[in-house]
Amino acid sequence: MRNLIQFLLKNTHWLFFFLFVFLSITLIVNNNRFQRSKYLAIAQEVNGNLYTLSSNIEAYMDLKNKNADLLNRIAELENTVYGYERQLELQKDTSAHSLIYTFTPAKVVYNRVSGQENYITLNKGSNDSVEVDMGVISSTGIVGIIIAVSPHFSLVIPVLNAQFHLSCKVKNNDYFGSLVWDGKDPQYAYLQELPRHVNFEINDTVITSSYSAIFPEGLPVGKVIDSRKQKNDDYTSLKIALFTNFSTLTEVLIIRNIYKDEQLNLQREALVIRNIDKVE
Amino acid sequence: MSTPWIRQTVLFILLVFLQVWLFNKIHIGGFATPLVYIYFIIKLPVEMNRNMVLLIAALIGLTIDLFTFTLGLNMLATVIAGFSRTYLLKLFAPKNVYESFSPSLATFGKALFLRYAFLIILLHQIVLFVTESFSFFEPLQLVLRITGSYLLTLFLVYAFEKIQLGKIKS
Repeated sequence: MRNLIQFLLKNTHWLFFFLFVFLSITLIVNNNRFQRSKYLAIAQEVNGNLYTLSSNIEAYMDLKNKNADLLNRIAELENTVYGYERQLELQKDTSAHSLIYTFTPAKVVYNRVSGQENYITLNKGSNDSVEVDMGVISSTGIVGIIIAVSPHFSLVIPVLNAQFHLSCKVKNNDYFGSLVWDGKDPQYAYLQELPRHVNFEINDTVITSSYSAIFPEGLPVGKVIDSRKQKNDDYTSLKIALFTNFSTLTEVLIIRNIYKDEQLNLQREALVIRNIDKVE
Repeated sequence: MSTPWIRQTVLFILLVFLQVWLFNKIHIGGFATPLVYIYFIIKLPVEMNRNMVLLIAALIGLTIDLFTFTLGLNMLATVIAGFSRTYLLKLFAPKNVYESFSPSLATFGKALFLRYAFLIILLHQIVLFVTESFSFFEPLQLVLRITGSYLLTLFLVYAFEKIQLGKIKS
């Protein structure tokens, strides 16, 4: 017995080692989106303030390119607005619910593309009525979804994260697939689980589908540059060049869907009904 | 007691700062990212208590994790590196020096120091990238990431050492 105690005293570092290994593995394993968002709300407030400083400097150095991008985007928007105005005139729809999305501009204060689980921090938080599960887009395409908010900052899970999934489709086509990232190049993502018979061409635009309550339908995501069959042959996977350049991201828009809760509740009810059907 | 501790604290803050704001943004060829904070564990005094080394290793890993939103990932890698350090030191530390000193080019000599640093960095990176790759498993990508980042980190650690050696000589 005394030998055992002596042995343990001499080798406390083994104990410490296993304790720390156990602790870190627990942290990694428990690191799912839900539990993470709790600690993140606190960590973000601190990190956000620090990252604001460095991103201000970076943003300043990249102003010239940003301006060019913005001008292009403005031109594009003006074109679409013009198109919509004409449509509106043609239809004269009197429905009061036509405007359901509002946009809040925000600045990126922290962004990383080098890891496999990347996150982005924005400088708008619950004080600016930003909430969890709002969509985030850039001037060129979609960016991600907000997963945690603190008073002045919010945390975004971007397309470039292993846990990101979004329902998207090829333009002019009603079949949808799931947008995921493979952890390699920040310029490319994959649209998976598309039925094999879907028609598409290289350079077709991929847009968000109407199935998510987070993004409006038809936001640009990227363009198709390659395709391959998935393992079981019934599905196709498309390689997509993302429109958003994540490595130089500084300005984004946060999308609020005014009727999101309503839509989600409805979808939840539908699920409940379906489950009851199954049981019966 | 006091001066080495102050120096260690400054080095800690400096390395975390550099890692989070500078080196994490480097992404050469889409796979090589230098992980220089391991330098802190390499430089801890040889005579330091083993439990203390583990505690400090866990702390620096966790600090990096807090900044990159990857809880536990860097911590696991630094704890394993900190643990193996004791045994690597037994292998490589010169036996004739008794006072407490930091491993460096000057105290260890080039050959021994480099061997010691090579192994500890390699171990750290393997653990880190293998753990990270649980989200997407692709062996080739994994090997590329480890090799690229390993070479980059080694180069930077060697550069830090050279700079310090220059200071001592002049």
